[in-house]
Amino acid sequence: MSSAALETKETVAGLGEKYKYGFVTDIEMERAPKGLSEDTVRYISAKKGEQEWMLEWRLAAFRRWLSMKEPNWARVRYPAIDYQNAYYYAAPKNTPLKQSLDEVDPKLLETYKKLGIPLHEQMALAGVAVDAVFDSVSVATTFKEKLNEAGVIFCPMSEAIRDYPELVKKYLGSVVPVTDNFFATLNSAVFSDGTFVYVPKGVRCPMELSTYFRINASETGQFERTIIVADEGSYVSYLEGCTAPKRDENQLHAAVVELVALDNAEIKYSTVQNWYPGDENGLGGIYNFVTKRGDCRGVRSKISWTQVETGSAITWKYPSCILRGDESVGEFYSIAIANNFQQADTGTKMIHLGKNTRSRIIAKGISAGKAQNTYRGLVSVYGKAENARNFTQCDSLLIGRDCGAHTVPYIESRNPSARIEHEATTSKIAEDQLFYCLQRGIAQEEAVALIVNGFCKEVLQQLPMEFAVEAQKLVGISLEGSVG
Amino acid sequence: MTVALALPTRRVEEWKYSDLARALGDVGFGDDSAEVLAGPVPAGVEVFALDEPNRPDWVKAHYGKLSANVVSAISLAKARGGIALRIPKGKIIEDPVTLDFAGKGHVRALLVLEEGAALTLFERCDAAETRNAGLEIVVAPNARLDHVRISPVSGVVQVEEVSITLARDAFYHGHFANFGARLSRIELAITLDGEGAEAHLSGVSVLSGDAHADVTTHVTHAVGRTLSTQLFKKVVGGNGQAVYQGKVTVAHGADGADSRQTAKALLLGMRAEADLKPELEIFADDVKCAHGAAVGDLDSDSLFYLRARGIPEKEARHLLIHAFLEDALTDVTNADLREQVRGAVSTALDQVAT
Repeated sequence: MSSAALETKETVAGLGEKYKYGFVTDIEMERAPKGLSEDTVRYISAKKGEQEWMLEWRLAAFRRWLSMKEPNWARVRYPAIDYQNAYYYAAPKNTPLKQSLDEVDPKLLETYKKLGIPLHEQMALAGVAVDAVFDSVSVATTFKEKLNEAGVIFCPMSEAIRDYPELVKKYLGSVVPVTDNFFATLNSAVFSDGTFVYVPKGVRCPMELSTYFRINASETGQFERTIIVADEGSYVSYLEGCTAPKRDENQLHAAVVELVALDNAEIKYSTVQNWYPGDENGLGGIYNFVTKRGDCRGVRSKISWTQVETGSAITWKYPSCILRGDESVGEFYSIAIANNFQQADTGTKMIHLGKNTRSRIIAKGISAGKAQNTYRGLVSVYGKAENARNFTQCDSLLIGRDCGAHTVPYIESRNPSARIEHEATTSKIAEDQLFYCLQRGIAQEEAVALIVNGFCKEVLQQLPMEFAVEAQKLVGISLEGSVG
Repeated sequence: MTVALALPTRRVEEWKYSDLARALGDVGFGDDSAEVLAGPVPAGVEVFALDEPNRPDWVKAHYGKLSANVVSAISLAKARGGIALRIPKGKIIEDPVTLDFAGKGHVRALLVLEEGAALTLFERCDAAETRNAGLEIVVAPNARLDHVRISPVSGVVQVEEVSITLARDAFYHGHFANFGARLSRIELAITLDGEGAEAHLSGVSVLSGDAHADVTTHVTHAVGRTLSTQLFKKVVGGNGQAVYQGKVTVAHGADGADSRQTAKALLLGMRAEADLKPELEIFADDVKCAHGAAVGDLDSDSLFYLRARGIPEKEARHLLIHAFLEDALTDVTNADLREQVRGAVSTALDQVAT
């Protein structure tokens, strides 16, 4: 076994506790004044040392946002968010760009260690380059050289705005327009950082790219902006993991992710979202209102979303694919687990515009405790999408009498040669399966985790190896206390 | 009296595929009252005209109690006439009773089946006038209702809400054949309110030209040990638009609820559109709920099979389309009515360029 695999194993073994990531790193933070106004936007832009065009872009978004209404169609309930009662920018103080890991605050590194991010040499073995985002500012970026050699740009968003303004101008807001929705517009105004990836023509990215997001300071929203562009014939796989420390107040997270795949390019985007879900009484937790969208702009391009959503008090997230290029492919694999008082409203949109486009949706929802879990999806075939194909399967599993599982698929077809199939089931864990396990001496909780993992298998298989192990364990942890 | 009830536009999620405000334009539904006639009414069945004074207790007890949607609220507010029928306890009526909706404007009807009663209801609609109908049906314990509705091709807006409540061991079967209108919507709101209650819905739509047909259902399993099935088939030619929105709700504690839902559409016209939205809303864990939906063209393998056996393509397609719809027709229990629906389907299919 390689040392990377060993470390993964150890990390995972350590996960067998309740919310392990509920610690707060005590680092002095530099914050924008509380509240949201044009001044806040200017403050963030100035802090980032941005050029005029970027500031204008942000301000336009902010002015637009003022006229927008918070959406209320999702099946989630939460007290009104006071947007003036939060910090919109928090950065660890004194963070000039680091040349090597040694320069990084050891407390930060300690935090990452607890998270189990192998930021040291082990990373080479794990084949992962991590651009760790610690409350809005990227403090350490590794493997730059190797990526540089391949011509891959993998850097914090703020750096990209500075160093590659033309690329950023070209793609920023091109998939998720500034005006898209309330939370995306808010993000456009106040996003602090994020990740920018550009894979040039014909390049197969030599390693899996990975960013770890963490929300640390209390009462700050995390507004990430991520853009991944795969130029003609390229390939990139991107992993995103999320954990947030334990806090009582609800924290807002409104990220925007834009993917662009040009001719023959492929992007694989995997997420394990394990943010603080609130306690057993529904107190605290993250509000995760995220807009993720991929644009298969080129012919034969492919975008594949895989997500494991176990955290957050509220999840509002619909990673989508616009299948614009002929013969482009969109995929969505999802596991959403909601326990205690968690609420998840998640799904996808597959917009078939080009000829011979194909999409596949596999969504598994698990509800336990008093949680509400909704799959909401749209498959839309436009008139010109000759021979478009879609297959959708969404299954829900209910554990306990007080939870809810809901399925809201929209299917729209305007082309007679298109074929769309949708299947959905809702059931509880079969008594006979549970009995079978119990009879063989497997404890009830373990048996449930086992059966649930089986239920999710199709999706777990899509995850990169390192994530798959962790995700499997997470499934078990998330459901702790839901049976018996 | 002015009624401050706005007509839904497509910005209202439940009316996303049927923009009623736009289809009606500035004139709206107007304030007219349409009419409904029942016939032949067998002995023992009580009939009450809703525009008469002194409503009997059974009308008072049920009238206006079930209606759910905004359009139905408008008809309740504006309709001056309509009819109420009561099938008394234990009364089993063999021959179908017909309800004929006609005229322009709003109209209401109420049907009460008392304990152990049984009825076959045949509902017809006159195609000429814009109409907003509201039909409430109360099915008492052990009563049984077979319901067949045919709405013919129409160039105007025709909207109907049927709200049904089913008590313990009550049985309902409804079939809805819809051939489209400028805007046609049948909305079924069904509550399974007693253990052992069953609701079975089926329907076909055959559309050509610019026809629009929307079937929206909402089945609520309020208690456990209840069963619902739905099977809707649509054939869309020309510029037609077929809509199916089906929502199944299983209430908290309704253990043993069983629900199945299938909606399939066959698109035959280059500009035809199908919008399907089968929705599940589950608040209980010991349930079995499934839904399936599919949109596509005829299966090329089946077509090839028939052609390989010397059946010309046109005829083969014809056969397959009939077979596709037949599934949803066999459930109609009354043989005469089944033939009537079949006849209407055949006529409509002739209009669709296959």
